[in-house]
Amino acid sequence: MSTNLKVKERSFFQRLDLNFVFVILALNVIGLINLYSATHSLNVTYNERLFFQQLVWLFGGWFLFFLITLVDYEFWKRFSIFFYFVNIFLLIAVMAFGTSVYGSQRWLDLGFFRLQPSETVKLAVILMMAKHLSEKSAGRGLGYKDLVFPALITGVPFILTVKQPDLGTALLMTFISSSMILFVRIKKSILILVTILTLFATPIAWNFGLKEYQRNRVLTFLSPGRDPRGTGYNSIQSKIAVGSGRILGKGFRKGTQSQLEFIPERHSDFIFSVLSEEHGFIGSVTTLSLFLILFIMSINIASSAKDKFGTLMVVGITSAIFWHMFINIGMVIGLLPIVGVPLPLLSYGGSSMLTTMLGLGLISAVAYRRYLF
Amino acid sequence: MSKYISNTDSEAKEYRGRFKFLYFCVMLASFTILTRLWYLQIIQGHELRDYSEKNRVKETKIDAPRGFFLDRNGEILVQNLPGFSVTISPQYSTKLEETAKAVSEVLNIPADSIIKSVKVSKYKNGPFRPVPIKENLDLTEVFKLKLIRMNHPGLNIQQNILRNYPLKENGAQLFGYVGEISKNQIQLLNTKFSDTQFEQGDIIGKSGLEEVWERKVHGEPGITFVEVDARGREATTDTPSFLGLKAYKAKPGNNLVLTIDKDIQIAAYQAMQRDDKIGPRIGSLVAIKNNGEILAWVNSPSFDPNEFSKGISNEIWEKLINDPFKPLRNKIIQDHYAPGSTFKPLIALAALQEKVITPSTIVFAPGFIKFGRRLYHDHSKQGHGNINVIQAIERSSNVFFYKMGISLGIDKMFQYASAFGIGNKTEINLFNEVPGLMPNSEWKKRQYGEEWQPGENLSNAIGQGFVLTTPLQMALAFNAIGTDGKLFKPFIVKKIMDHKENMISEYSPHLVRDISLPDENGFFIDKKNFKVVKEGMRLVVNGERGTARWYQIPGVEIAGKTGTAQVRSFSAEQIYDKCHERPIEERHHGWFVGFAPADYPEITVAVLAEHACAGSSGGAPIVKDVIKAYFEKYHPEKLKEKKKKT
Repeated sequence: MSTNLKVKERSFFQRLDLNFVFVILALNVIGLINLYSATHSLNVTYNERLFFQQLVWLFGGWFLFFLITLVDYEFWKRFSIFFYFVNIFLLIAVMAFGTSVYGSQRWLDLGFFRLQPSETVKLAVILMMAKHLSEKSAGRGLGYKDLVFPALITGVPFILTVKQPDLGTALLMTFISSSMILFVRIKKSILILVTILTLFATPIAWNFGLKEYQRNRVLTFLSPGRDPRGTGYNSIQSKIAVGSGRILGKGFRKGTQSQLEFIPERHSDFIFSVLSEEHGFIGSVTTLSLFLILFIMSINIASSAKDKFGTLMVVGITSAIFWHMFINIGMVIGLLPIVGVPLPLLSYGGSSMLTTMLGLGLISAVAYRRYLF
Repeated sequence: MSKYISNTDSEAKEYRGRFKFLYFCVMLASFTILTRLWYLQIIQGHELRDYSEKNRVKETKIDAPRGFFLDRNGEILVQNLPGFSVTISPQYSTKLEETAKAVSEVLNIPADSIIKSVKVSKYKNGPFRPVPIKENLDLTEVFKLKLIRMNHPGLNIQQNILRNYPLKENGAQLFGYVGEISKNQIQLLNTKFSDTQFEQGDIIGKSGLEEVWERKVHGEPGITFVEVDARGREATTDTPSFLGLKAYKAKPGNNLVLTIDKDIQIAAYQAMQRDDKIGPRIGSLVAIKNNGEILAWVNSPSFDPNEFSKGISNEIWEKLINDPFKPLRNKIIQDHYAPGSTFKPLIALAALQEKVITPSTIVFAPGFIKFGRRLYHDHSKQGHGNINVIQAIERSSNVFFYKMGISLGIDKMFQYASAFGIGNKTEINLFNEVPGLMPNSEWKKRQYGEEWQPGENLSNAIGQGFVLTTPLQMALAFNAIGTDGKLFKPFIVKKIMDHKENMISEYSPHLVRDISLPDENGFFIDKKNFKVVKEGMRLVVNGERGTARWYQIPGVEIAGKTGTAQVRSFSAEQIYDKCHERPIEERHHGWFVGFAPADYPEITVAVLAEHACAGSSGGAPIVKDVIKAYFEKYHPEKLKEKKKKT
């Protein structure tokens, strides 16, 4: 009898969701090709350093990915509180002795690496939220009392990030938390109330919460022509870059808009405009599809997770990557105002790359443990 | 799904049905982006490709001209001049070596270094940024370069704004200088002020008024859109009408109207540079009106701020920072010195007010006195005999004031000197002012953990010992004596006007206190005591035995006081040695602070001549020249009147 029931233990590669790995790899390849183009102009090579740094981070990212895949994610559930407070501490440290670039104090200089805690704190919030929400049963939806703790979890890092000031990241954090709460389901009455409150709060936040330049960005987005200081210029140039790519694009390293320095921050926040200009509709849609496949696979993994924590963690991470992608591309193609949000896996940046790979590693870890044996 | 073991029975089943919603959201977002991409790249693609091919627009920043500095009568002190510079654009420079050779012949710069700097910049900044080869070309160079420009693509002559200081070395530490913003400053200023965005290459004020008033003077840069052709060459500089982009003209910075009088400033500088036995003075001069307005501000030796506008050479910079007499320093407020005998009028006021003496009290003042175990000397070996306070000031008797010091004690002296601002910052709106020092017994305990020694009363009463003061403090204190107690806060900027001459702000004199009126502790100095001391100071210049009697102006009476600040202490035998025979760094500093008219001043001038040995020959002739220049300009009738009589 026992011989019949003997189950063959699955190997590492059988347990690993290989398709998931391949989709990420495909996005990595596109990202590297594109970053190479963005950092190497027509007839000179400058910013060359950036490309190699990104390569290093990518390898580091994959190392983390596999490492985390192998760790039982129970570990993260148990240590989510610790992880969360370390991140809050780092955010406070940034305020005290962070390095500032373009007027925002966002980085901690560690010598070899400049850590941006507002990137990693997103992951910490997701883990805390997943742990907290998974311990609740919300058959009829979350009530007012149930929302106090999630609001605190999100609120503290939100305020610390707004102070930097990094409004984009702070808003992203609320988007992610809201996505998770909505997924768990809340009472309809709360949903209606929140919608009404948001409608009322917007004009107040507009007048008192936003800084002059932030208001300008939004106004410029609504009518690019008004533009007191060339704020609309970026948006217009980006649209020209994307549109001029047409169907097939201008070719690798031949995007005149990007190569001639019309596009600011073309290696980080505006990386997608380089892609669209040089590889056209075909290139953009391919990339978009890869992201879509990545999301669908992630949702699949979420739905087949062995516990609630796993499901919620994957939903949280997926929503984080999704919101980054949507806001970044939306900004590049003129659908949304300009906010400094990187495009996951494609934008240059160590903190973003490592956190994204870490997040994907956690999703992979959930997939790895979907089998009971 | 079949390969997974179903989770329907697990705890996660309560989320079932919500995944469909997630799929829907993700699809919807992707579809939105897809539609927009379709619209931009397929529907508008042709049009936008045209823009990118033919009408590429490049945003260019136009620097705003900085505001002028004008003197109190509207004369230009600091202005802007057009400058020319030559650049090479790596992207168009098809025959760089030939170009470099041709340029090197005109400008006398080695061709190799031109090629190198172009290549370095091309690597570092990309091919689009023009590489500056030489700035501030003279007109013949511009002419010669224009001739060869046609044969050398990429060679360009650019016009820029050059900050110009017509007075050159004169007043350089006050006006300051400008230079390219540093990386740290970009970060610092952009964090501090969210409404301005500084960029690399911006010119900002780096010292003096240029730095203090940077925000008012800088102006707002304009924006222009330059159309460039497919190869990146500038096609037109008109603003393209499409896309709704708007160019903005630069808004020039505000002009500062200063309290400085250009003529007095020039006279003061020339007076300091005098060619007498002592030679051009090292040190500082400040002239103020009786309401605290600064009329002239001279530090010597000085530097030419125009060198900084051009981009200062390493050689000149090294020379400036290694000069032992510190030409970059604003000595008037950044250095403090022992006031020496110029301190005596304040002690005289204290002694009179505290009733230690009356105006007619006769004090025996020999060549030295013994106090404790030490001998305290006078500068005159024979001493001054029996003298009253007026004579003591006129002849600058040390022994007289030693005795006053013994009777008053340091804490009384502190009370009086502090009332005149000695040892306190004047709060003038300039950077790095030092407060000087007025000691008292409490300070001594705090600083050294020791009791105040009675012997120290003597040295401090004649302005040696611990007392330290800046030339500006002395000018204000003497003005307060002259005006019977009105201590003013000094100021330099009278008005700020925008480039269309609209008033932005106006500043008026600020009376810190009137010492002739009782304060909250009932402290004041009687006006009649001011009269007595002023009489003594009048005799310093106009009396038969005055220490500065050689420097009278016919028609205008100057009142003042000479002083000597010892650089180091000497033994008893050395005191009477010839100062001029010592090495320069061991010679005393000379003070002269004076005002005119002697009964109620319009102008007060303080001069500190470093290592000039004496205040009378070192400082008094300079003060005399400046006061004379003032009366020649504003009250010439007073001078002439008396000349006829004499």
